Amino acid sequence: MPFINKKKIKVSSEIPTASMADIAFLLMIFFLVTTTFPKDRGLAIVLPEEGVEAQVSQRNILHLIVQPSGIVDVRRGESQQVQQLRPQEVEAIWRQEVTSNPNIIAAVKTHPETPYRYMIDVLDALHSANAERISLQILEP
Amino acid sequence: MAIKGSGFQRKSRAASDIPTCSLADIAFLLMIFFMVTTVFQTDRERPIVWPEALAAEKIDEKQKNILNIWMERDGRVFMNDQAFPLEQVSDYVAPLYAASERALVISIRGDREVPYIYMDQLQKELVAAGVVRVVFAAQLEQSMQRERR
Repeated sequence: MPFINKKKIKVSSEIPTASMADIAFLLMIFFLVTTTFPKDRGLAIVLPEEGVEAQVSQRNILHLIVQPSGIVDVRRGESQQVQQLRPQEVEAIWRQEVTSNPNIIAAVKTHPETPYRYMIDVLDALHSANAERISLQILEP
Repeated sequence: MAIKGSGFQRKSRAASDIPTCSLADIAFLLMIFFMVTTVFQTDRERPIVWPEALAAEKIDEKQKNILNIWMERDGRVFMNDQAFPLEQVSDYVAPLYAASERALVISIRGDREVPYIYMDQLQKELVAAGVVRVVFAAQLEQSMQRERR
């Protein structure tokens, strides 16, 4: 019978604060778990070990000469023919070369006066083309 | 003045359980203390303009095994907030590399305009120190911002 419980329900006028700390902890743990610190990004390369010099046939070298203006002179192996490209176009060249010769090595020779970013652009293009055999050198005068 | 109840007072009743209402406060206090006193082992950023690259990948190594080498536009080298002449880089890096059991990764953070001759010298120093794993730190290029494509 529903008429028995006719007592007025007492409503508390205060917000219960007993579980506030629990809520704060819960929030904190949530943020602790979901926080990720930004990781540094970069172009990874493996430097040669000291004193190790590999002999590579000229036929397997793709010379990429980075000029101070950012123009890249591409020279294949022994041929004296030079092709002038922008750094972004190196990617297509590499893909083309690597299909015809899987053993090819990219020799990035940078002029001493070249700003670092042009070398990074070339390296970026090579990384974009999944090149793994890269040699970084400075252009000997 | 007689002692009330002639010295025999009612036994004070001690609560049998530890009060827990301030437990959370204590926990917070401890937490805030540790938060404030924790120091992260990081070096301060040098003012450089980052180079940009499309293929920049995340460095797959623990933070404590990464050594940042900053190179400013004029070729000055900074490691762990200290300036170094280029010729002394290998002397500083080699013991760190040995201490990390050859797991150390060098993150070269060069200004985009630094002449390549300094970068080449730095690489030669790292080769002399025996370090093989090197990352040229770069920011991920936004293809939208690219003016050339």
